[in-house]
Amino acid sequence: MSADRSHVEVRRRFAVEPEEVFAAFAEPELVGRWLSPSPDIALSLLQFDFRVGGAYRFAYRLPEGRTVIVAGSYLSIVPPSRIVFSWIIEPPDEHAGIESEVTVTIARDRGGAELVIRHEKLARIDAIKRHAGGWRGALEQLAAMLAAAKGS
Amino acid sequence: MAMQHPSTLDRTFRALADGTRRSMIQALARGQARSAGELGRRFRSAQPTISKHLKVLERAQLVERTIEGRVHRFRLRPRPLREAGGWIARHQAFWEGAVAQLERLLSEVPRDERR
Repeated sequence: MSADRSHVEVRRRFAVEPEEVFAAFAEPELVGRWLSPSPDIALSLLQFDFRVGGAYRFAYRLPEGRTVIVAGSYLSIVPPSRIVFSWIIEPPDEHAGIESEVTVTIARDRGGAELVIRHEKLARIDAIKRHAGGWRGALEQLAAMLAAAKGS
Repeated sequence: MAMQHPSTLDRTFRALADGTRRSMIQALARGQARSAGELGRRFRSAQPTISKHLKVLERAQLVERTIEGRVHRFRLRPRPLREAGGWIARHQAFWEGAVAQLERLLSEVPRDERR
């Protein structure tokens, strides 16, 4: 995780062309094969309109039988280097309705491609950040402290 | 995960976005209840300021108030803290898992199938 802690970020280098990483986000038959947190969680594309303003709707079937639906729209597409889309979990999930945002950056890197996925605006954090940075670090500190206090 | 409305999550984050309030939570983290007066002395702030912070924490359900006569005591409720941390962790885990799957896919798909 990054030091800033107000967002989630994942970074990975692949030994393929940036265009190939971009295609994995742009082509429905490829998206359906990887964009889920685990092979146990099957993804079905209910809607997939990959263009600026176009909407998507993904259904994730969890192993226990529950389905979580994530929907959003494409805010910016710059092939093969950048994709921005909104990310909203639909009801009845306990965190439904929070309008978060995902920015995908794909850069050419030493003959391969470096992918950065940054997920922001989790709980309208951007507004909060103006008032105080580093709350996320504080939160972790507190969580560790609470765990320690519980054990004593 | 337990039920938590997004607005509750927002209130948790907002309540935590202030240094004094985070220190107050720390002061309560050992588990025992403290009165508003005790907390006020600790932070050398005027009582109305302390009351205001305590109200924000109470609305975010981070503290619980009990009233005994004229004494208001506050106790920490750790659950919203755990849930706020869980919400962020859930997304971190999602993308880490997805990128691992993407790596597998990119190494499997034959070159001519890709663009």
